[in-house]
Amino acid sequence: MSRLRSWFLAPAGLWIAFFVAAPLGVVAAYSLLTRGTYGGLSEPWTLENYLRLADPLYLKILARSFWIAGLTTLLCLILGFPLALFLARSGERKHLYLALVILPFWTSYLVRTYAWMFLLRDTGLVNTLLIEAGWLERPLALLYNDGAVILGLVHGHLPYMVLPLFATLERLDRSLVEAAGDLGAPPRETFFRVVVPLARPGIAAGSLLVFIPCLGAFLTPDLLGGGKTVMIGNLIQNQFTAARDWPFGAAASLALMVLVMLMLGLLLRRGGERFL
Amino acid sequence: MSRLLGVYAAAVYAFLHLPLIILGVFSFNASRFTVWEGFSLRWYRAALENPQLLEACWNSLLVAAAATLLATALGTLCAYGLWKRRSAPIEAGLYVSLVTPEVVMGISLLAFYQWLFRYFDVRLGMHTVVLAHVTFCLAYVVLVVLARLRTLEPALEEAAMDLGATEWQAFRRVTLPLAGPGIAAAALLCFALSFDDYVITSLVAGVDSETLPMVIYAMARRGVSPVVNAVSTAIVFGLGVFILLAERLRRA
Amino acid sequence: MRRREFVVALPGLACRSGRPRLNVFNWSDYVAPETVPAFEAEFGVRVRYGTYESGEEMLAKVLSGNSGWDVVFPSNSLVEPMREQGLLAPLRHAWLPNLDNLEEGFRRPPWDPKLDWCVPYMWGGTGIACRREVTPPAGWASLWEERWRGRLTMLDDPAEVLGACLKKLGWSVNSTDPVELRRAGEEARAQKPLLRAYVNAEVRDQLVAGDVLAAQLWATTALQAMEETAELAFVWPAEGFPLYADNAVILRESGRVELAHRFIDYLLRPDVAVAVVKATKTATVNAKAKALLPERLRLNPVLYPPAEVLRRGEWFTALPAAAQRLRDRIWTEIRAA
Repeated sequence: MSRLRSWFLAPAGLWIAFFVAAPLGVVAAYSLLTRGTYGGLSEPWTLENYLRLADPLYLKILARSFWIAGLTTLLCLILGFPLALFLARSGERKHLYLALVILPFWTSYLVRTYAWMFLLRDTGLVNTLLIEAGWLERPLALLYNDGAVILGLVHGHLPYMVLPLFATLERLDRSLVEAAGDLGAPPRETFFRVVVPLARPGIAAGSLLVFIPCLGAFLTPDLLGGGKTVMIGNLIQNQFTAARDWPFGAAASLALMVLVMLMLGLLLRRGGERFL
Repeated sequence: MSRLLGVYAAAVYAFLHLPLIILGVFSFNASRFTVWEGFSLRWYRAALENPQLLEACWNSLLVAAAATLLATALGTLCAYGLWKRRSAPIEAGLYVSLVTPEVVMGISLLAFYQWLFRYFDVRLGMHTVVLAHVTFCLAYVVLVVLARLRTLEPALEEAAMDLGATEWQAFRRVTLPLAGPGIAAAALLCFALSFDDYVITSLVAGVDSETLPMVIYAMARRGVSPVVNAVSTAIVFGLGVFILLAERLRRA
Repeated sequence: MRRREFVVALPGLACRSGRPRLNVFNWSDYVAPETVPAFEAEFGVRVRYGTYESGEEMLAKVLSGNSGWDVVFPSNSLVEPMREQGLLAPLRHAWLPNLDNLEEGFRRPPWDPKLDWCVPYMWGGTGIACRREVTPPAGWASLWEERWRGRLTMLDDPAEVLGACLKKLGWSVNSTDPVELRRAGEEARAQKPLLRAYVNAEVRDQLVAGDVLAAQLWATTALQAMEETAELAFVWPAEGFPLYADNAVILRESGRVELAHRFIDYLLRPDVAVAVVKATKTATVNAKAKALLPERLRLNPVLYPPAEVLRRGEWFTALPAAAQRLRDRIWTEIRAA
């Protein structure tokens, strides 16, 4: 209908064509090439890189990554929803509170990760305090396990859950909630029957924003997991660095992206949910 | 209910800020190790005397500001367009950019730049970093702004136009102000994303565009460095004050 | 970069200063604080000195052939691949008079016997750092003992972990034999339950603090930790150990080849090299500089292992594609176990 709409879409469309589609085209081409003797790219063109992916080892890693990313998303939702609700209801001060959510994220992710290491180490703050208080004899192994990885991921991705949730909850019509209360619905009932359904776009968007980066995470499993667990992100990153096998890395990443897109498509169709 | 919510929120805030507070406290520690040895500003002095660190900090701020500005503008327009009517190719592109793992986006952009360099005499530098940052921020902006727009009544614009407003006026005067909080949230998110990015930046950065996360990674890799703590604390404090002032001004 | 210049000119495009400029990309922590400023002052040039954390990070950038860097420092096993891909400019020995300062062995290194493409810069090896309160391990095999459970780390690097396992089994660190590699992988998986983590230089603080009792570690990182506490010892494993050397090379894309040579030659000066060793605690390839080092460093067996120890060392080499691929598969298996 409107000319304005086309003008508004054009810059982003061009941008996507140039900086998303074209580079991915290059990666797609890479995925069909062969690793050169010393790690470069060489002919012949082949599908072998994709065939190599059908390996129980890689499937196991994939399943694990989904499990960790899923758990992280769930925890972010549990932590983030009440916080977003609180933000949405804090009236005058909500911008201040919102800024407080984001503030920690202006330190580098790496710095925050190192701060967690500093807290969780054997001689770190948590263990030192617990031992000095006499509650522990020997330090707990808090660092370098899956718990630490999930902790780091949740901490690192919480704002991506809170922001879209806040954006929807903030517009949520208060009168609806009040009406439910007036009609005798207990708070819990109101929450699950009225607030949550209305906040669905935010929940969906937030989950997406947390789940996807977690799936490809590799710094956190490396630093907080001590390299003892592999997520799909580590696998891919390793192909582009230590293994110097760009074609295989390209194939693995495209396969992952297709998989995630398929899941997303299913979600969009079945749930009727729209993120964009 | 609402008190309970407040307590819960406070707990989540504590979780979010815990590492930050630890950083802040230990940036004033005289010792470089975990043990508290008394108050000292030596790490701040060391940070100020490190030109590489200061330059990287400045580069990071520049990149984040430029990327936020561009991505928020492009993304908001795009979100508005999509809100009006869906566009399959653009949505697909945005989804793709969302599901691209960081390493892949970095590598693909690097490969793409390499290909471009054959035809244009440019090198990797600040501009390539900014372009990359806008690219990965764009989808986030659209997502957040669109989530906000979805909660608006399209009829409002129609009403405005019935009353004689042009399309542009309806957008500018009705929708844009209502979408404000969403846009602000998106901009904050963008800034944080850009300021923080290590993986993509380290791949597409050139000779003159070392950013803070790159320097920090190099420093922290060799053990927890109190200088890094000092810089982080200073940045958070500076930006915190900035936000507070902005908030005051906005309300005044 | 100067900020006003950024605002005025598009960065990276403009040649801003009248003084010629050299772009040097090196491992982090690999020169003394005064090395670069002194070069700038003496030659009246500007040096943009950038650092990287892994050889692959550097390689990914310079592969473009348009990275903007002039001098980089690949390790010995990367020199051949980089030359193969046409990334390196041939060296002109006429511009490198200080080349004679190199130790005998580094004038004809196996990875570039005539020094046509690279000039060795620093070298080191991998061994075991451990706390003094425990009985020191004699070699790699000791790292499979139950007593380390939860207090032992290995490097987060497939070549190093597999290298240690191969040495334990009595094979070469550069093995390409699938049977040997698979056996090494089994060893690594058997060791994994004992490990606290696969971690690189970050382990330094944990060794100093005593969280970690023993760690597979590069000699230079171990020495840095030992400077901080007397509680640490370093062992060159009995079965043998890998050696590496980092080399200065000039990229083919460089438009300042002569200045790049001047810089490399400057690094070869004895006084410059001595300052670098003092600052980085890494062994120099420079014989004249070594002679000038204080005894504390020159006779330090961690920095300069005695000849009979050094004989057990083995240089990492570049590996063929098939072996590299198998190694990566095995490394993924180890990590996923």
